[in-house]
Amino acid sequence: MLNYFDPSQHRIDPDRDYGTPARLSEKAVALTIDGVEISVPEGTSVMRAAALAGITVPKLCASDNLEAFGSCRLCAVEIEGRRGYPASCTTPVAEGMEVTTQNGKLAKLRRNIMELYISDHPLDCLTCPANGDCELQDMAGAVGLRDVRYGFEGQNHLDAETDASNPYFSFDPSKCIVCSRCVRACEEVQGTFALTIDGRGFDSKVAASQDEDFMDSECVSCGACVQACPTSTLMEKSVIEAGVPEHSVVTTCAYCGVGCSFKAEMKGDQLVRMVPYKGGDANHGHSCVKGRFAFGYATHKDRITEPMIRDAIDQPWRTVSWEEAIAFSAKRLKDIQAQYGRESIGGITSSRCTNEETYLVQKLVRAGFGNNNTDTCARVCHSPTGYGLKTTLGESAGTQTFDSVMEADTILVIGANPTDAHPVFASQMRRRLRQGATLIVADPRRIDLLKTPHGSTSMHLPLRPGTNVALVNSLAHVVVTEGLEDTAFIEKRCEPDAYKAWREFISEERNSPETLEAETGVPADLVRKAARAYATAGNGAIYYGLGVTEHSQGSTMVMGIANLALATGNLGREGVGVNPLRGQNNVQGSCDMGSFPHELPGYQHVGDPAVRERFENLWHVKIDDEPGLRIPNMFDAAIAGHFKALYVQGEDIAQSDPNTQHVEQALTSLDCLIVQDIFLNETAKYAHVLLPGSTFLEKNGTFTNAERRINRVRKVMAPVAGKEDWEVTQDLANALGYPMNYSHPSEIMDEIAQLTPTFTGVSYERLDELGSIQWPCNEEHPDGTPTMHELDFPIGKGHFAITEYVATPERSTRRYPLLLTTGRILSQYNVGAQTRRTENSRWHEEDVLEIHPSDAELRGISDGDWLGVSSRVGQTVLRCRISDRMQPGVVYTTFHHPGSGANVITTDSSDWATNCPEYKVTAVQVEKVSQPSEWQKHFQSFDEQQHKYLEKSKDEPNFALK
Amino acid sequence: MNYELQHLIEMINQISDNNLHHGEAEHAAEMVATHLIKFWARSMKDQIISYAENDGSELNQVSKLAVERLKAWRQAKAS
Repeated sequence: MLNYFDPSQHRIDPDRDYGTPARLSEKAVALTIDGVEISVPEGTSVMRAAALAGITVPKLCASDNLEAFGSCRLCAVEIEGRRGYPASCTTPVAEGMEVTTQNGKLAKLRRNIMELYISDHPLDCLTCPANGDCELQDMAGAVGLRDVRYGFEGQNHLDAETDASNPYFSFDPSKCIVCSRCVRACEEVQGTFALTIDGRGFDSKVAASQDEDFMDSECVSCGACVQACPTSTLMEKSVIEAGVPEHSVVTTCAYCGVGCSFKAEMKGDQLVRMVPYKGGDANHGHSCVKGRFAFGYATHKDRITEPMIRDAIDQPWRTVSWEEAIAFSAKRLKDIQAQYGRESIGGITSSRCTNEETYLVQKLVRAGFGNNNTDTCARVCHSPTGYGLKTTLGESAGTQTFDSVMEADTILVIGANPTDAHPVFASQMRRRLRQGATLIVADPRRIDLLKTPHGSTSMHLPLRPGTNVALVNSLAHVVVTEGLEDTAFIEKRCEPDAYKAWREFISEERNSPETLEAETGVPADLVRKAARAYATAGNGAIYYGLGVTEHSQGSTMVMGIANLALATGNLGREGVGVNPLRGQNNVQGSCDMGSFPHELPGYQHVGDPAVRERFENLWHVKIDDEPGLRIPNMFDAAIAGHFKALYVQGEDIAQSDPNTQHVEQALTSLDCLIVQDIFLNETAKYAHVLLPGSTFLEKNGTFTNAERRINRVRKVMAPVAGKEDWEVTQDLANALGYPMNYSHPSEIMDEIAQLTPTFTGVSYERLDELGSIQWPCNEEHPDGTPTMHELDFPIGKGHFAITEYVATPERSTRRYPLLLTTGRILSQYNVGAQTRRTENSRWHEEDVLEIHPSDAELRGISDGDWLGVSSRVGQTVLRCRISDRMQPGVVYTTFHHPGSGANVITTDSSDWATNCPEYKVTAVQVEKVSQPSEWQKHFQSFDEQQHKYLEKSKDEPNFALK
Repeated sequence: MNYELQHLIEMINQISDNNLHHGEAEHAAEMVATHLIKFWARSMKDQIISYAENDGSELNQVSKLAVERLKAWRQAKAS
């Protein structure tokens, strides 16, 4: 029987290791293996061809996520007409080849090889942590090893010491067979090149960096080596402690916007380890330190496990039943509306929760509260993306798949730091850079991507914070004035009048790199070089992050980026596009689900009567025809006294939003703050009702990642407080008199599909069938849409927008001569509520202020000093780290720890179109100090008091439940 | 003047600044008014209209023109 291998038929089983990577040649080669005929793409290895034919060839050093290496020789086969016993992993198939994988000679050869391996390997299988999950053990069994004739007396590595420095995995070199899978995984999969084989011959051993402990080395703890290890040499400590897991569930990571698929490997309801799932289309079996290891927060002692209420924030919490907490909340909300009007309350959806939960919160607000006062944390990160891309391209989403980067010739990264914030995608990007793609980075900081080992040409455009639009205009100016436009694309795909107006504008001398050099600080010739590299590469792809959006001209910048892509025809195919890198797991989803006050799910404006009618018919309620308040407007309205109650699901506005003291004032002005979260976060300390949230491990639903990919989230353990988040929202709606009766999130998704034109083909059945779906998924695109705008734009033709550069009012002055910009680091996630409660804190115990050596010298500052950082709105104190990653005049910090108060100094300056805060530019002064700031002292005492209130609630007998 | 109104004035002036191209105030005002209609909450619109009626001194030229359009839209909607 002739078996044809067709990748489009999804015959690949992600749980099977095919030995070597897939080859994508369209030319098929037919061969016979053990009498079975099979046809595979040219370039495929004999080992993979055999695996595809269902034949298993023994192997140790091969794995299908690594290029063949040919060191173990266990996979030797016989090939008719060829001499000797070639390794099947390194031998490509040839037409008509006849392969034998099993016979007496091969069996003997393999036994001999295994005998040598085992002669220098401990025989403690029964007590070994990999017992039952060890490829070496499996192969010993497969080849029928019965005897080791060499004894164990000679020179060996059995006494080698274990390196347990990494909090998540240990390295026991006594078990190592030097197959180098870990070394190759670090290079090929992760791209860090932290591991090496040190020494020669018998002395060969795996070493991290310069033979250092893993923790002290360049290792970024992504776990690729642990996954690659065929023995227990590199082993998760959780498995060493708990034993090998007994079942697993495929789910989606709840950290960044890459949305990696993982197998949650379980023992009963205990999560033992998270293993990146090879079948995940966003990550293809790779992971980072957060998703792979930092899941311990789910069972942390700080979890809120019971609902609590109180009348005022200076009172201890009272633990109550769910019914009482919900009834208390509903009564307060109703009373407030009766007193202050329909528009006096609102809700905030969470970009960390599922699509279904987000949808339900905005539905509760619009249908249950009767207004449009709903917003989401995307307000403070990617709202300008929604505005800018909708205006220019007609859809508020990135245009590509992550895999598209493998076709890019020039990669332009603007205001993003993928190795820290989107590490798994950064690894893929680095793979492409090693293949020769050109890298352009526009960022005030010299980000790590610029230090890609074995990367190709790279350019750094170190612009001054706040001058993005000036830079993108000057890039476009070069494209237009040097004749680098794709005129055919523009003619066919873009609105002619808008293009003409834009072309005239951008050609003006005031937009030239020479004129704007004084603003941006980037040398004009470098800008010209970069523009040419992007426009003439063939495929130019833009990736951007919060360094684009979190500015007073965030929306203008997004439009400037879209203009650049339209002008060069870099849209509508693989390898190009405009790609926002989303911060949180479900930022894309929360925006899609109608979290913004002006848009119903699917970015449908509330002012459109036809849109409202469809929702009203299904929801059986009248929908307000005007937008509601955005988060910053809610704060202002609260302080002004006409916004009185807020329901916040899974967002820590008190820590993450700018101008903390203003936020605190707003929160204390509320008569009722309902917080639904997994911990007593900063916002919850100002709350009257605390409803326990559930982690992604405790619920069913979907997340949508940065490439519009809808992935399933599957429940692996029961919610600690008994309810998934959507159930709590449903209870609240019912208590308010707006009926909701869902019995499973799949029913919520079915409703979303009915109301959202880009989701009509999405259902849990289809998701289970396809693995994941990239929206739009409808009649036109039944299997989803990997690449957007291939033939046209949702608005018909692409729209060039005029992007005038308007300098931010937030400029350095004599009083505040430095510019503060903020960002993220690899080991911590956002406000740190999750990662701070894991061993990830070992890598980042506190937020520090990075300052350039010349600025430090000027102020007599040394590394480790306490620094007072003041802006026009506040002051905080951080420890100093002298670093030349920034230019002089720019200082940098992160906001992963609440006590650092980074947002005490950020201001209410925001994007003109969306009110997205300008986190990336704050004028500050820095000086040496000896004590914490006033705010920090207040924070500390308030924090202590609120924790006491929480502790007290635990001591009190629970009357409500009795 | 309360903080909320002060902020609204700053916001509308910023929107105006970002939509002004080659000094074409009428065109910019049209874009600003459309923006306010599309993105501002009812209470925000009402406050800025009321401010323009009673004082309006801190509104820049484009903002003033935009609020006039917003007011006309509000009246048309009410009728």
